[in-house]
Amino acid sequence: MDESMLCTKTHEYVLELSKNNYEVGITDYAIEQLGDIVFIELPEVGSEFAKNEVFATIESVKAASEIYMPISGKVVEVNEEIVNSPELLNDESYENKWFIKIESSADQIEFADLLDYSDYREEVE
Amino acid sequence: MTKQTFLHDKHIALGARMVDFAGWEMPVQYSSIIEEHKTVREAVGIFDVSHMGEIIAYGEDVLPFLNKLVPQDITKLVDFKAVYCQLTNKKGGIIDDLIIYKLEENKYLIIANASRIDEDLNWMVRNKIGFDVTIVNESHNYSLLAVQGPKACDLIRSLGMLDLPEFFKIKRGELFNINLWISRTGYTGEDGVEILVRNEFSEYLWDKLLDSGKSFGIKPIGLGARDTLRLEAALHLYGNDLDEDTTPVEAGLSWSVSKTKTADYNGKSVIEDQLKNGGRKKLVGLKMLDRGIARHGYEVYYNNEKVGIITSGGISPIRGDNIALAYIKPLDNLTVGSTIQIMIRDKLHNAEIVKRPFVPKHNKET
Repeated sequence: MDESMLCTKTHEYVLELSKNNYEVGITDYAIEQLGDIVFIELPEVGSEFAKNEVFATIESVKAASEIYMPISGKVVEVNEEIVNSPELLNDESYENKWFIKIESSADQIEFADLLDYSDYREEVE
Repeated sequence: MTKQTFLHDKHIALGARMVDFAGWEMPVQYSSIIEEHKTVREAVGIFDVSHMGEIIAYGEDVLPFLNKLVPQDITKLVDFKAVYCQLTNKKGGIIDDLIIYKLEENKYLIIANASRIDEDLNWMVRNKIGFDVTIVNESHNYSLLAVQGPKACDLIRSLGMLDLPEFFKIKRGELFNINLWISRTGYTGEDGVEILVRNEFSEYLWDKLLDSGKSFGIKPIGLGARDTLRLEAALHLYGNDLDEDTTPVEAGLSWSVSKTKTADYNGKSVIEDQLKNGGRKKLVGLKMLDRGIARHGYEVYYNNEKVGIITSGGISPIRGDNIALAYIKPLDNLTVGSTIQIMIRDKLHNAEIVKRPFVPKHNKET
């Protein structure tokens, strides 16, 4: 995991790619806890979400989980590869585990409750 | 306070993720549910199912007593033969689904669901008035190990037990010098055995079976794969697919209702009426046509009208698609091949009614 990512207590992460551009996904810890991932539903490019709004659904063999936006933003790209092959998320050698890329003008207030990766790991373990 | 089986420390040492199931701390998976599932379909897996209940019923009147409790005809059971049946209430609803084994004249073993053992015992005690019968809950004395898969019986034979019981039969036997009961039953749709052993020998037996099974490709299997395996085999899970408001006829279990039994049993009038005229609902198998997984509790629609509810659903690791069991209204035009819709996260998804089981069963070879 990229150590500069910021995480939510609900196991999403956001990583700044360039100014106002971010990648959003779920943490390695979340993937490990879910076990075999068998289904991912991602939003369409162009859709806009508020912070904490559900933007995706991920299903393991056992259950469905909703995924929340760590910050507000507009979807500019979705990872079709994991939609078509959800099991890639469980593959340790696969690196492109991001869900969506967004454009965001989120301010500091939206980032206030996000955790550094190391703090997040401490929180969940 | 959750209960632990005598194999708890073994599961932890094998890296299992433990979950609460019916008041028991049980392994849900050791490695991956899908891998464990495939191990059982292709080789052999070992399950700790010691949470299941074991009840012994004996006495002069045990036969008429049991025959009053279930729609199967228990008088047909010969020694060491087992039968799948349901404990029904007065309305024909299912209190639990059971396997009853005849151990000897006037002595039967009943295997019950962990989540229902208290209800079962209460119901049996309420029904025993006037019968000379003794009911003993032996659950705390016994561990139950299931060894399932196409190589399960080869493994047991390799341990010196050449004469395995036939399908749905039980025998007394010995493995690694341990006395045990071994039956040709399971909950996976594969060939295999279930081994009933006193708690004090369960750890030793577990280790020995895992060790001896290495060359057969044995792996420990958690409750996660147990659930996906039984769903592919379209075997009911109490609490999901069966409850006190569902009769054996409605559950697609008419084959386990005796058509010739003269003795009365709880719920007989309702069940016999439903055998002739059909139930209030019927169980169907579904495969998803659209992307999406049907889960327990999701609603089923036909022509924009709600016609039913999903009781079990998930992926089929062997078929590679998504399957489900649902109760639907018994409409004549809803039959195998019909397309219906499942409401998944506020959107309707197409599914087709298909035959059960979802994968062929392989448990009747001898």
